[in-house]
Amino acid sequence: MDEEILQDFLVEATELIEGLDEQLTELESSPDDSDLLNAVFRGFHTIKGGAGFLGIKPLVELCHRAENVFDKIRNGQLEYDHHASDVIMRAFDEISDFITQLNDGVREFDDESNKTLIDELDRLRTGDTDDAAQEPAEDASGQGGSAESGAPKLELPEGVDPEGEITDDEFEALLAQRDQLAPQDGEDESGKKLQLPEGVDPEGEITDDEFEALLEQRDSIEGQGEAPKTEAPEPAPAPKPEKKPEPAPAKSAKPDKKPDDNKADAGKDKPHKAAAESTVRVDTRRLDEIMNLVGELVLVRNRLLTLRGSDDETAEELSGAVGNLDHVTTDLQASVMKTRMQPVKKVFGRFPRVVRDLSRKLGKAINLEMKGEDTDLDKNLVEALADPLVHLVRNSVDHGIEMPDEREAEGKSRDGTIILAAEQEGDHILLSITDDGKGMDPDKLRAKAVEKGVMDEVTANQLDDKSAFELIMAAGFSTADQVSDISGRGVGMDVVKNMITKLNGSIDIHSAAGEGTRISIRVPLTLAILPTLMVAFEDDSYAIPLTSVQEIFDYDGNQINKIDGQMMVRLREKSVPLLYLKDWLNPGCSKDDFSGDKVVIVSIGNQYAGLVVDQVNGQEEVVIKPLGVMMKHLEGYAGATITGNGNIALILDLPGVLKRFQF
Amino acid sequence: MSVATKSATADSTSNLALDGMLDEEGQYSGPSVRCVLFELDDEVYGINVKKIREVLRVGHIRQVQGADPTVLGVINVRGVIVSVIDTRMTYGLNTKQPDDLSRIIIVELDEDNIVGMLVDSVMEVKDIPEKQFEPMSSTKENASRYLQGIAHYQGDVIILIDVDSMFAGAVE
Repeated sequence: MDEEILQDFLVEATELIEGLDEQLTELESSPDDSDLLNAVFRGFHTIKGGAGFLGIKPLVELCHRAENVFDKIRNGQLEYDHHASDVIMRAFDEISDFITQLNDGVREFDDESNKTLIDELDRLRTGDTDDAAQEPAEDASGQGGSAESGAPKLELPEGVDPEGEITDDEFEALLAQRDQLAPQDGEDESGKKLQLPEGVDPEGEITDDEFEALLEQRDSIEGQGEAPKTEAPEPAPAPKPEKKPEPAPAKSAKPDKKPDDNKADAGKDKPHKAAAESTVRVDTRRLDEIMNLVGELVLVRNRLLTLRGSDDETAEELSGAVGNLDHVTTDLQASVMKTRMQPVKKVFGRFPRVVRDLSRKLGKAINLEMKGEDTDLDKNLVEALADPLVHLVRNSVDHGIEMPDEREAEGKSRDGTIILAAEQEGDHILLSITDDGKGMDPDKLRAKAVEKGVMDEVTANQLDDKSAFELIMAAGFSTADQVSDISGRGVGMDVVKNMITKLNGSIDIHSAAGEGTRISIRVPLTLAILPTLMVAFEDDSYAIPLTSVQEIFDYDGNQINKIDGQMMVRLREKSVPLLYLKDWLNPGCSKDDFSGDKVVIVSIGNQYAGLVVDQVNGQEEVVIKPLGVMMKHLEGYAGATITGNGNIALILDLPGVLKRFQF
Repeated sequence: MSVATKSATADSTSNLALDGMLDEEGQYSGPSVRCVLFELDDEVYGINVKKIREVLRVGHIRQVQGADPTVLGVINVRGVIVSVIDTRMTYGLNTKQPDDLSRIIIVELDEDNIVGMLVDSVMEVKDIPEKQFEPMSSTKENASRYLQGIAHYQGDVIILIDVDSMFAGAVE
């Protein structure tokens, strides 16, 4: 198996799978949408094509069956009902499994592994129609390449070894051939074949020029108004059913199908091709590299900014130049950042399926609405958000939305609604999951917290409603009495909270009993550049993520009390525990006069703490760099950065810092 | 023929010239290992030059609280944060404050990971015939950790360090 083609195939297939996932779910609500049906058909077909070239037989078989089913559906010979969609979904899952396995480096597959599924697909396709008997047999033979006569066939340009290497262009061309064939009538077949120019070694690799020549040949053959006869290891699946002279239904379907095909070609393929010319696929590693260099540039700029004005004579001119550099760098940083942006659709895309599967399993009726899918988000964030969001959505389906009967009794519509929304809010993204389900009862949560030993009764009763809702994110807290296989898979809300906190984000919960719950997540637009507050302890500087910083004030001994062995500062109505960085950073230091020091109040989730530091040196945007070898997972640090004056500042990871203080 | 100048991009001020010491070349036939020789507590050690990116003078090393005791801290090598380990401590020798002769050898573990090793001084680059190396005797268990072999060569005893095993746990 050629690794290079395989990688290309995987990239393409992964995208197709993502698309199919969405389309298949969409199809459930509009099973007659012919554009959609065509898109799905083409999706399966393209994967099949690629798999065929790579010789992944079981994958070919599956795609082929799925494709055939959709061919029937789009010809109106089959209904896309619940049963059909279930089987197709399973086939789809299996196919995406293949792709995942290929991505993971699996190269050998058991040919027989999906036999039952394939049989089921065959049964689905043949249904009760009269021609049921003939078709499966035909498919089986068609797969081997010994295609039946009468049908136009695709052919590899002669001399191209089907097992050997094939370039992208060749592959494209074969696809194009197939598309050309589709609307043609197979009966007026001509004997023309594409010929390799003389002197070309059929065993050798084909050059671009030779290939161009072949393309021209093909075009000229078509120009004569005759269908080219081409052969391929796989038959053209689209035209097959209509070419068969025997079954009447197939023939009658022909007129319907042609316009469909044409429309699809015109409507989908062409814009796709045009788009392909204006975009380039770039390895994300390369983007990361560029991002890193831009980060470097930002640091140099920062350094220049601090130097500016230190020399009187050249100050003005230098200042102007540095100002320019500042602008350019800022713009460059923004542009590069944009290249890493992906629409949040990437994450949202999977939810229709998640909700569909779950609600079916639970017997609930749920509409999923998605808003702001085009909101852009840093690629890393898109990936990092996927798991927490899936968990939250599952929660909404499982715990939020009631059973239809229950809803009716409450005077609500039988169908529940979950709204998944994303919007940009300054330099943050706001994601929200809103359901119109039963909401949460703060009293129940308080009682549960006491029962689970998360806190005592007095404390629990003092919690306001909002804090009570936040209890669900406390470790060891689960309101589900029974652990279902839907929620309670070990990924609790506390894990979700930790994941979001790690992304320098925050979670907010609103709920009203009987009306529903809304969970809002705020995350920064990017992970690469972090706004921080620079603080100093002795001669070393540390950076605290600015999102966590609430306020800064002077250390005042009169406001500080020792309560239960813990130093606390009174902050308005609350007592906030103090963390003396010296205890951690320099345990031997006997400093006990903190006057002149600063207290930085930080919040981590719903927890507050005051960090006592020597100095606060203002805000700085920093590029996060990993700490070196042997320190990559050191608790308490999120990484390091290089400050404007060229020194290294360590970036504190507040959850880790708190853990270190065993707080 | 410039294996030694593989990363010629280093700051010229802080980079020792690794070239120009190859006068022995041609004198021996057969395969040899080109090594950077350095001193630790008056003993001579060698690291295969292929593993070395550059040699730096010791500047400010930023301490990182809570790190492994053998890690002295981190330095900034043209925008990359690099851990510096106290090579003396790794070999169970007494630690010593860096002085004018001290150097940090930047070792490439793999494409993404580099690490700095603080040594007492860097001496020269030498081609040592492979046949000169004797495998380590397994009697001194602890001391033979991370060592590839010992060579007696031109009056010196050279201990060849196996950096890969030294940082085996540190690279992900």
